[in-house]
Amino acid sequence: MLRATYIRGPTIFRSLFVLPSLRFPPLRNMSHRPIQTLLNANEEWAQSVVKDTPDFFARSATCQNPKILWIGCSDSRVPESIITASKPGDIFVHRNVANQFHLHDDSALSVLSFAVKEIGVEHVVLVGHTNCGGAMACIEAAKVAATNPSTSTPLTRWLSPLTALVRSLDLSACSANEALNKVVEANIIKQVDNICKSEPITTAWADPLAKKVTVHGWMYDLAEGRIKELVVRDSQA
Amino acid sequence: MSQLQLNAAEDLINANERWARDVIKHDPNFFKDSATDSQRPKVLWIGCSDSRVPASVVTASMPGDIFTHTNIANQFHSFDDNVNSVLSYAVDPVGVKHVVLVGHSVCGGAQSAIQAAEQGPVEPYDPLTRWLAPLVQLVRTLDLHGLPENEAVDKVVEANIRKQVENICLSEPIVTAWATGKNVSVHGWVYDLATGRIRELVVRSPPCANASSC
Repeated sequence: MLRATYIRGPTIFRSLFVLPSLRFPPLRNMSHRPIQTLLNANEEWAQSVVKDTPDFFARSATCQNPKILWIGCSDSRVPESIITASKPGDIFVHRNVANQFHLHDDSALSVLSFAVKEIGVEHVVLVGHTNCGGAMACIEAAKVAATNPSTSTPLTRWLSPLTALVRSLDLSACSANEALNKVVEANIIKQVDNICKSEPITTAWADPLAKKVTVHGWMYDLAEGRIKELVVRDSQA
Repeated sequence: MSQLQLNAAEDLINANERWARDVIKHDPNFFKDSATDSQRPKVLWIGCSDSRVPASVVTASMPGDIFTHTNIANQFHSFDDNVNSVLSYAVDPVGVKHVVLVGHSVCGGAQSAIQAAEQGPVEPYDPLTRWLAPLVQLVRTLDLHGLPENEAVDKVVEANIRKQVENICLSEPIVTAWATGKNVSVHGWVYDLATGRIRELVVRSPPCANASSC
């Protein structure tokens, strides 16, 4: 079996990111495997971790001390720990449709608050990505008149700030692909802006005794598998 | 940035670069295919934001396998547009076949809720206390008297998982999916931090699961 080995920091942690054709019988497609297979994979993974680092889980259970909060998209192609070869304990995570940070959203606000004040993360990374289905949906929605509020659904309400952002952009000279990339980038910058206006961040930045926390806007390019930093903000900026 | 300032965020970007190069070495088309095909994961994972429970790592999954939403204490509130929009989008258009609600041992959210329940009712005054209010209410319905702390937390974690599964089954996307014959199951899982193992606590299948029309 071919396995990819990732070495980060002083600890060797073998990721079980292996090519499906080489790991399972050739005809099985990983994205269609049933739930039992996930549970089996978990068992195999746990055994391999214990073999590699016998006290990993026992230590992990005592506390968490991640330096990073990742706010990203729920898209299955952007699993934060796989694409950064991270191990359990590295990244505190909040993922939702189109990597939004709404200032009225208790879900994201409570994650940010807990991460900054209780966990003490040093970096908040807001991560968007190319080919974002949420962004595509908003580009389409922006072309039609605003929907009647009485027919709104959780998803249309969730995407309405992004749809409003799309309407504020000039996409007239863009191809479909260019328009999508422009929206994804503008979205990242806007969400970073929102995060910087939130109470946990404004409080941390106003307090000279608080732990330093930096906010980053990142773009993950699906076609290349690479993260690029678009913007970074800290208390000085 | 100077060497002295090499930080966790930069470290992550460097690790991503190494990972991407490794993937391309083994499968030059992986990323191009991932970008051109739309995603087709069969599983939606609703879990905790806790850094020790990364969905794809603990299930040894590939990019493309699991649509993911995480929040404090793996909640599914019926009034929360965030998780409801994820569930809605996951069922249609993404087309997941399984929703897994995953709690875990030693959950900080559960611990906070136990402490808050002991203090008596307070008016939720910030996003985190508002967020945990339903869990605090759930804790108050449980008999935790005489239990050592870790057992009390375990009891709350399991009750929480069952409650959130119930909430998911009552949600519009699932009710509609089941009423229209869509084959979507809802699972409640608990991840044990001390062993790295997932255990299934409960599974709810569509009412027509055994019918040929599904």
